[in-house]
Amino acid sequence: MLLGIDVGGTYTDAVVVAEGKVIAQAKAPTTHDDLLAGILAALDRVLDGVDAAGLRRVALSTTIVTNAVVEGRLERVGLLLLPGPGMDISALVPERPRILSGYIDHRGRETAAPREAEVASACRDLDGCEVYAVAGKFAVRNPAHEQAVAGWLRRHARPAHITLGSAVAGSLNFWRRANSAYYNAAVWRHFGRFARAAQAAVAGRGVTAPVYILKADGGTMPLAAAGERPVEAVFTGPAASVLGIMALAAPRGEAVSLDIGGTTTDIALWRDGAPLFAERGAQIGDYPTAVRAFWLRSIGIGGDSFVRRENGRIIIGPEGRGPAMALGGPAPTVSDAMIVAGAAGFGDKDRAAEAMRLTAAGGETVQETARSVLAAAAEAIQAAIANMIDERASEPVYRVEDAVRDLRPQPAALIGVGGAAAGLAPLVAERLGIRCSVPEGAVVANAVGAAVARPTIEVTLRADTAQGYYTVAELGLRAALPSRRFTLANARELAARHLAERAAAAGIPVADVESVYDEEFNLVRGFSTTGKIIACQLQIKPGIFTAGEGV
Amino acid sequence: MAVKPFGLVFFPAFDWALTPTHPEREERLLYTRDQIVEEGLLDIPGIREYKPRLATLRDADRVHIGVPDIGSHITDAHLVSAGGAITAAEAVVKGEVARAFALVRPPGHHAMRVVHGTRGFCTINIEAVMVEYLRRHHGIRRVAIVDTDVHHGDGTQDIFYHDPDTLFISFHQDGRTLYPGSGFTDEAGSPPALGTTINLPLPPGTTDEGLHYVLDNLIIPVLEDFRPDLVINSAGQDNHYSDPLASMAITAQGYASLAAKLRADVAVLEGGYSIEDALPYVNTGIILAMAGLDYSRVVEPDIAAAPRGLSDGTRAYLRELVAKQGALWRERESLSSAAAAKAGDFWTRRRGIYYDDSGISEQQVERLRLCPHCRGYLAVATEAEGHRTGYQSAFAAVVPRESCPACRQGAKDAVLAAKRQGKYQHYYIQDKENDSLERV
Ligand SMILES: [Zn+2]
Ligand SMILES: [Zn+2]
Repeated sequence: MLLGIDVGGTYTDAVVVAEGKVIAQAKAPTTHDDLLAGILAALDRVLDGVDAAGLRRVALSTTIVTNAVVEGRLERVGLLLLPGPGMDISALVPERPRILSGYIDHRGRETAAPREAEVASACRDLDGCEVYAVAGKFAVRNPAHEQAVAGWLRRHARPAHITLGSAVAGSLNFWRRANSAYYNAAVWRHFGRFARAAQAAVAGRGVTAPVYILKADGGTMPLAAAGERPVEAVFTGPAASVLGIMALAAPRGEAVSLDIGGTTTDIALWRDGAPLFAERGAQIGDYPTAVRAFWLRSIGIGGDSFVRRENGRIIIGPEGRGPAMALGGPAPTVSDAMIVAGAAGFGDKDRAAEAMRLTAAGGETVQETARSVLAAAAEAIQAAIANMIDERASEPVYRVEDAVRDLRPQPAALIGVGGAAAGLAPLVAERLGIRCSVPEGAVVANAVGAAVARPTIEVTLRADTAQGYYTVAELGLRAALPSRRFTLANARELAARHLAERAAAAGIPVADVESVYDEEFNLVRGFSTTGKIIACQLQIKPGIFTAGEGV
Repeated sequence: MAVKPFGLVFFPAFDWALTPTHPEREERLLYTRDQIVEEGLLDIPGIREYKPRLATLRDADRVHIGVPDIGSHITDAHLVSAGGAITAAEAVVKGEVARAFALVRPPGHHAMRVVHGTRGFCTINIEAVMVEYLRRHHGIRRVAIVDTDVHHGDGTQDIFYHDPDTLFISFHQDGRTLYPGSGFTDEAGSPPALGTTINLPLPPGTTDEGLHYVLDNLIIPVLEDFRPDLVINSAGQDNHYSDPLASMAITAQGYASLAAKLRADVAVLEGGYSIEDALPYVNTGIILAMAGLDYSRVVEPDIAAAPRGLSDGTRAYLRELVAKQGALWRERESLSSAAAAKAGDFWTRRRGIYYDDSGISEQQVERLRLCPHCRGYLAVATEAEGHRTGYQSAFAAVVPRESCPACRQGAKDAVLAAKRQGKYQHYYIQDKENDSLERV
């Protein structure tokens, strides 16, 4: 049995899944001041009648990191950057950085050395700072400078924690890594406190199963390992929903999914049964980061969206004014329209009709108004989907082969989950001319997603055979190549070994390894080939436990 | 944050090479990609990356006369590269961005009007294809092209040599010391377009200081005087001090401040073969400068190796060059009338053209009708010989836009007469008014 808990804006949901089926579900109000209280209340309710000893894993999707960022509960971070020559990003990061000398170039070669004296002076300057983030340009090609700076920090300050940019992401993009490292350090203490409390509280209920936390990319990590990488637990709600869809509907081929909630609809596109990733990483506040996340679009339309008429046109959302009038709310909502149109069965039908009367244009029946409201909502969602498809189709490509190919997504199916999915998803699918499914259990999709999310982890290996070394950024590793005749196939094998190592260290089982990207270039100097640059990224594919699969 | 939105079309063609060890190979923009991505330039609000569209053969036929046809000389890579230039320019013309840079390969500025093969790594002229596309679809008329590649932009010069609406300025390492061996000050345009081709041969070793002297004292004032609808920068980067194919001494700062002063609407990458030591920094500098951002920290790690200053000899030469070309510019109208009067009804030019990549040598005769009512028409006779390609010949007439009925008829008659004589293998009429390239 797998237990999943999703902390939502209003409710904290908990489910127990066995053999791919939801066997228990419960909810408790989300306690914003102390998330743990709501989590434990939901846990207690769902475990009522379930044998806790049979649980193999507890997985949490929590807003703890997102809230800390949104509410500005961020610890002061000593941010040290080694930008070398290039764009000045001093004003583009969340905290005033100390700029250090030292430069690693695109091949991972040192072209200028860092200086301990500068770090010592920064430490005096940052007196009282206990957490630090260090990011260097091209540190993913050679982490030596970041590591040296960390060493000097330990000598000249008393850091409780240091985040290295190259350890939070293995891919290029110094600005994003710097932002990621900053946020990781800034939420480190807050998250750690929560993680320890959660671990203790769960254990206190006689649950001996390990506790995992969901990541933005839909993977999970053991709570203990998450302590060093808390930034990856940002934006887990939408990730949980996407995994829930995977568990409940198993989309195949190209598809589009909708999570239609109270006031928002989250849209994801799928290819080959897997959701698409955001190309470069998640945006946190005003700052782009390297945190891997699904590519989602959120629009302000949901069951509780406020409906009115302005200059004869029906306007929906983006805000809500409370629940549906059918449920005692103050103003017409999309849910009221669904009730009148016969697409939802809850609440007071007369009040719903009253809501539509308030929205009706002259001479319209309430049924006609309800249909118009739902059509307008479906149209807005359809437009957002079209927008995403356009954006994906115009995603730049760097190879001729890809430039001449039509890469436009063509979803053939639509999956709807969330409270208002049954009323709206079929209308959107109809407009797109594709088939629709609203799977059973759709209202607790997020908690199901958390329950069944499979742990995932990635490694990025880059070899430079001319220089005879390779790096694995996420491990802070730079080592000699076993042979100068090193091929892409060798690189994949070596990367797979390091992936297994990294997974073992994090307590993650290795299953379903896939290649995220690879590239291979001949280095030609003076008209002869002097070596190769080979890069590959492997990951344990984000996904779900299927029936019978272990943790 | 970018002051004005800036468009970037980045297309490194990671799966295309002329030959595996050629300077135009897969690896060329690898380190530039690394630098741009690592800097986070593509994430800056206001910098928008565009996917290149695919140019069509028709877009190429608007400029070139391929023998036997352009399609048999090019690959998809050329259509993406030319399409990338069009994408960048269209983003500017439509007002989506203030400026744009097509950082694409393969390059194009050595490709001339008639195409028998590949020369100077170029097969179709991507700037020219872009310019004629804009004229056809966006009503652009006056265009200035500033070619900042170390090699003379002989292809672009050839295509616009008779067009007074296109100002072509090229500075480059002196043709006596570098491929393609042309670009001297006396190549100034045919009589109707005299003065709208300006060549600025620079001595080997010219530094930022020398280049900026020419820029400030000649190029910028001439551009202001010409009042183009659009300024294009043929942004080759092989003037860099570390470039292996040439001997100049320009730095990334020199290139970036050039981009800032030039304020080109569209820049299109041409050459640049110091793929590790120059391109990452030069391109970062140009992108920042064009986007209106601070580029002062973009400095090559090995900047100590860059020559500085200017010898007295070079200084004196540049002063004289600027004075001479400035005078030509100011007097271009009277010089143009005098040259036209001297030529009479037709102006004729015979040339040998060498295709280094394809191993072809071409003999070409251009005959330009000088018409008092319109831009006249151009008749081109071409014969080419190569080991791999054998003998190829063609006769073509080019009818410019807004031509008078007599010249339209004259062009047609010239091709029909040549065909009757039967000396050539292929006969074409390229009609810019009807946007057609017709086989006769
Ligand atoms: Zn060049
Ligand atoms: Zn005429």
